[in-house]
Amino acid sequence: MSGDESVVSIVDDDPSMCEALTRLLGTVGLRAEAFKTPQEFLKTKRPEAPSCLVLDVRLPGLSGLDLQRELANTDPPVQIVFITAHGDIPMTVQALKAGAVDFLTKPFRDQQLLDAVRQAIDRDRAARRQWADVAGLRRRYESLTQREREVMTLVVTGLLNKQIAAQVHTSEATVKAHRAQLMRKMEADSVAQLVRIAEELNLLPPRR
Amino acid sequence: MADAVQRAHAELDARVRERTADLTRTNRHLHDEIASRRRAEEAFRAQAELLDLTHDTVFVRDAKDVITYWNRGAVDRYGWTPDEAVGMVSHDLLRTVFPAPFEEIMAELTRTGRWEGELVHTRRDGATVIVASRWSLQKADERRLAAVLETNNDITERKRAEESLRQAQAELAHLTRVMTLGELAASIAHEVTQPLAAIVTNGDACLRLLATEPPNLGESRNAVDSIIRDARRAVAVVARVRALLKKSDLERRPLDLGQVIRDVLALVQSEIARHRIELVTSLADDLPPVLGDRVQLQQVVLNLLTNAIEAMRDVTGRTRGLLISARRHDIGPDAGVLVAVEDAGVGFERARVDQIFEALYTTKPDGLGMGLSISRTIILSNGGRLWGTSNGSYGATFQFVLPGWKDRP
Repeated sequence: MSGDESVVSIVDDDPSMCEALTRLLGTVGLRAEAFKTPQEFLKTKRPEAPSCLVLDVRLPGLSGLDLQRELANTDPPVQIVFITAHGDIPMTVQALKAGAVDFLTKPFRDQQLLDAVRQAIDRDRAARRQWADVAGLRRRYESLTQREREVMTLVVTGLLNKQIAAQVHTSEATVKAHRAQLMRKMEADSVAQLVRIAEELNLLPPRR
Repeated sequence: MADAVQRAHAELDARVRERTADLTRTNRHLHDEIASRRRAEEAFRAQAELLDLTHDTVFVRDAKDVITYWNRGAVDRYGWTPDEAVGMVSHDLLRTVFPAPFEEIMAELTRTGRWEGELVHTRRDGATVIVASRWSLQKADERRLAAVLETNNDITERKRAEESLRQAQAELAHLTRVMTLGELAASIAHEVTQPLAAIVTNGDACLRLLATEPPNLGESRNAVDSIIRDARRAVAVVARVRALLKKSDLERRPLDLGQVIRDVLALVQSEIARHRIELVTSLADDLPPVLGDRVQLQQVVLNLLTNAIEAMRDVTGRTRGLLISARRHDIGPDAGVLVAVEDAGVGFERARVDQIFEALYTTKPDGLGMGLSISRTIILSNGGRLWGTSNGSYGATFQFVLPGWKDRP
């Protein structure tokens, strides 16, 4: 992992713990940035590189679990490794159900933490890759004209050119031209591929 | 002559007829009267039978509280038959315990025509029952009372349920306070765990830094510095907790114990009044000063007084007397002060005399059992003694002696 761009954010109100964690992560070449409060963390821009959050449960003000709830709607999701001095089972279950990578009780073994952090960063990297793909598709879709988008929606529902022409009140030849144009812009080689893209972009009507 | 005889005969005849008619009239009248009385009696019996149908206890007593009617419900509730009960004075038979002076109850009854309240009755088998009682007054005329109809409902079970609920609430309150201690412990544990966790993580990091080729000595040294700093932090937390328990920020100076007692009495004055306690103070003028912390000694006096007040909370039928005294008490050749708090409360069993000073021992439903234990520790740490004795008939006396302050090194 040494040498990569990954960043580990740490939120713990105990500066000693922040310092010790930063040092430990440094021994495996991971860059860390520490925050004393959830608010400080929320104010900072999310790193561009794959990252994760090492989060203490018991914090002044907003608790670790509150912060997790706050971050629930971020896309791609923030991968969280919880650390706590007094974890009980319901708390652990709640955190893991809400998608936490791991829940470690202080004091923990170094390898336990490093494994959890590594897993969290891997998850984030995969999520970012997928997210980037979808973002690319969305950009292509946005380059379509209004009419092309209309035609695309009808194509992926399986209509023939003739049927589409009737629906949008134009000639079959015009539909054919739009169709060729949008296939090119969406970089789709076949109707099947176009359907997959539409699915990624959430354009398909809900299946019955 | 024959005429005269005949006339006389006719007259006599007429008189007899007249008399017979008279008698017949009277007789008929009597018959009517008897019939109407019988009807009235039947109606009354029917009504009485109706009263027998109710589950409530119903009885009637006259102006002198002598029972004149006793329904089926009364037989069931109290155990006496109507033959046994009628003719008895009701309050004697039932050994009634009233919630207010009897005169007040009667005054309300005469004024408003009714009275409601809770009574304690004793049944034929000796068991006591608590009843919700309703009295209605029947008047002979404006001034005189003819009879009282008393209807009673047994609420013994409900009362018992209420009492156990009250007890459960008190236990809950106790538990809540113990929980607070538990929370304190959890907070201390968290305070100590934080630096320990940092020490472990720094130790792990240090080993990794030393394992590289070449070892990263500079950062290793930083890690060890952090470890030492956090270990000191953990020690400081422990020291703080110990200080909390030891109260090492004491200010020991010569004190007038009489003044300490007066300060505390001012604090508990309203409690004493609220519990209708008769307080007697006897504070001597010639008390030698003692060396101690004012707040600590106030705590001891306050603890002994609140114990005494609580011990008398349920006392009825005797004066709730509380005596606090302070007098000179020389220990050998040295001056000293003896303070005594004497109550007329529930006291304690002689066998428990050692237990009552143990931590967490309590006889109070909402007590923590720390008061006497802490008080004894405070007095001991000031070179004195604290002990308790059970009074002869009832109540307890707690006293302590403290040595006088010697104005020399």
